[in-house]
Amino acid sequence: MATTDGSNDSTESEGGPLARWTSSVIENQEKRDRLYRALFIVAAGFFLVTTLFPFYWLLVLALTPTSQILTGDWSLPIIGIEFPHPQGFNVYAFVEMFEQVPFHLFMFNSFVLAISTTVIVLAVATLAGYVFGRLEFPGRGLLMLVVLMISYFPPAAFLVPLFDAFLGNAVVIPFLGIELFESPRLVNTPASMVLPFSALFLPLAIFILTTFYAQIPDGLEDAARVEGTTRLGALVRVIMPLSAPGLATAAVLTFITVYNEYFFSSIMALENNPENWSPLLGGILSYQTQYTTEFNLMAAASIVGVLPIVIIVIVAQERIVSGLTAGGLKE
Amino acid sequence: MSTGREHESKWPGPVVSFSRWLENLGETAFAYLLLTPVFVLLGAIAFYPLLRTFELSLFTGVLGAGEPTFVGLQNYVDLFTGAANPSLPGSVTFLPDVTTSGSFPFVHVDGWVRSTLIVTLLFTLVSVSFETIIGFGQALILDKDFYGRRWVRAAIIIPWAIPLVIQGMIFYLMFHPSTGFLTSYLAPLGLVAETNTLNDPASTFLIITVADIWKTSAFMALLILAGLQSIDRNLYDVAKVAGASPWQQFKLITFPLVLPTLIIAVLFRTINAMRIYGLIDTVSSCTTVPSLSCMVVETFYTSRGLSSAIAFVTAGIVGMIASVVIYQRYKEGF
Repeated sequence: MATTDGSNDSTESEGGPLARWTSSVIENQEKRDRLYRALFIVAAGFFLVTTLFPFYWLLVLALTPTSQILTGDWSLPIIGIEFPHPQGFNVYAFVEMFEQVPFHLFMFNSFVLAISTTVIVLAVATLAGYVFGRLEFPGRGLLMLVVLMISYFPPAAFLVPLFDAFLGNAVVIPFLGIELFESPRLVNTPASMVLPFSALFLPLAIFILTTFYAQIPDGLEDAARVEGTTRLGALVRVIMPLSAPGLATAAVLTFITVYNEYFFSSIMALENNPENWSPLLGGILSYQTQYTTEFNLMAAASIVGVLPIVIIVIVAQERIVSGLTAGGLKE
Repeated sequence: MSTGREHESKWPGPVVSFSRWLENLGETAFAYLLLTPVFVLLGAIAFYPLLRTFELSLFTGVLGAGEPTFVGLQNYVDLFTGAANPSLPGSVTFLPDVTTSGSFPFVHVDGWVRSTLIVTLLFTLVSVSFETIIGFGQALILDKDFYGRRWVRAAIIIPWAIPLVIQGMIFYLMFHPSTGFLTSYLAPLGLVAETNTLNDPASTFLIITVADIWKTSAFMALLILAGLQSIDRNLYDVAKVAGASPWQQFKLITFPLVLPTLIIAVLFRTINAMRIYGLIDTVSSCTTVPSLSCMVVETFYTSRGLSSAIAFVTAGIVGMIASVVIYQRYKEGF
C-alpha cells in the first residue's frame, strides 16, 4: 500500500503546486478511508473468530477419537504449532452419544417445557400487554413498575420457599403462620419448572407486547368495536394479528430463555433422569458425571444440543434483536 | 348422554351473559380483571417466595435440629461477623479477612477468592466492564452497512443464545487437564494454574469471567446498537461538512448520544451478572468459586435459615441496583 501511494505521489508531482496540494488531500482522504476500512475488517474478523472458535473446538473434539484426545497432542502436522484440529473423522460419536445417554429424551423434555412455558407466557402476557399498552387506568404506572421489579430479582431469591412448596409442604402466609393449603408434590414434574419459568420470563414478554400493542392505531380497534365486536374480540381479531411480529418476538425469546435456563432446571428435577423431566441440562451433565473420559461424546452432545438454537438464531435474528432492544430498554 | 346434550344447549347462555357483563365493565375494572392472571402467577411464584424467604431468614433452620426457632436478625449478623462461615462449605467465607498493616497498600484483603460477597461483586464488575467495551466495539461494527452484515450479526448473537450448560461445557473442555489446550498457553503467562486448573479458585474465577464475557458481550452489543441506530444520521453529514474526523464524530456525536442507553444497558447487565450460578456449576463447582446464588443452593440442604438470609442479601443488593434503573426510567417518563 505504501509503495503504490509513493509512486502516485511522484507522478502527481509533475503538476503545479495547487494540483499537487488538492491531489494529496484527496489521496490522504482515500488513504484514511482505506485505513479505516482495514481497521474495520480486522475488528470484524477478530469478533467473528473469537465468537465462533469455541464451536470449532467442540467440532474438533467430537470428531477426534477419545484415544487421540487423551494424548493431548494438538500440534499441527508440518508447522508443529499447538493448534486444535480434528485428528480423525469419527462421526460415530454422534451415534454413540445417544447409546450412552438417552439424549433425545432430555431434548424432548426441554422442548415440552419450552413450548408449554411459551404458550402460558403468551396467553397471560397478551392480556397484560393489551391492558398496559392500550388502556388508561389509575395505577398503570405502578403496576408496570412492580412487573419490572420482579424481572430484576435473581431466581435464588425465590428458591427456598418454592422448593419447600413443590416438595409437597404446606404453603404458609408469611408472618401470620396461617397454613393456606398443601401443594401437591411437584418436584420431578414439568409443573415445578414451567411455573417458575412462566413467572420469571413473563415480564420480558409483557414489555415486548405492550410496546407492539401500543403502536396499533386506535382507529382500527374502534372500527372493529363499531361493527359490534367486544373489547376482547377486537384484541383477538384485530390487535393480535396486526402485532404478529411482536407475538413472534415474545415467543422466540421465551423459548430460547427456557431452553437455556439453568437454575430451576438443575434443582427441580432431583436427578438427571429423563423420567424426572430433567431437560437438556441433565443430559449434558450426565456425560460429565458418568463418562468422565468420553470427551468426544460431551462435545458431540453439546453440538446436538446447540443446533436448535443456532437454527432459531439464523431464522429469527430480526425478531431477537427487536425483542431484546424493546424488552431490555423499553422503546 | 342426555345430560351432556342438556349441558351443551345451556352453554351459550352463560357465555353470552358473561361477555355482556365483561363488555359493560368500566375501563379500570376491565383492566384489573385482565391483569388478574399476571398477578396471581407473580404473586405465587415471586411475591410469596420473596416474603417467605425473608421470614425464613429470621429463624434457625438447621436441618435435623428440631423445630426452627425465631432468632431475629441473627442469621444476618452471623453472616457479616463471620460466625456463619463454618456453616458454609469448604473454606468459603462470606466477607474476606481484612487486615491492616503498616506496609503499602495498608489494608490487605486476604482470601478474596474464598469470599462469597467479593467474588460476586468482583465478577460483576470485571465482566460487565469488559462486556461494555467489547459490546460497544461489536455494535459499532454492526452499525455499518456491509456485505454479509446479517451473517456477522447472527454469528455475534449465537453465543448469547446458547444454553448455559453448553457454554459451561465448552469452557470445561477447554481447560480440563486431559483435553484443554489453552492451559498450556496461559499457564506460562501466570494467568491460570498449571495443574488442576479447574479446582484452583483464582484460575476458575478468571475462566468463568472470560466465559461470561464471551457469551454476554453480544447482548450489550444489541442494546448499544439500538441506541446507535436511533441517532439522527444528519448529524454525521453536518459533522463531515464541518471537517470532523471519525474520532471526533465518535467523541462529539456518537458517544454522548448513546450514553443514556449505555447506562441502562450497564445497569441491566449488572443485575443479571449478580445471578451467576450455572456457569460455575458446570465449569467447576460452587465450592471453588462461591458466588451468592451458589451459596444459597449449597447451604440450602443444611440450613434453611442461612440459605434464606444469603438469598435475601442477594435480593437486597439487586434491589438497590434495580431501584437506580427504575429511577432512570422514571425520569425518562415511564
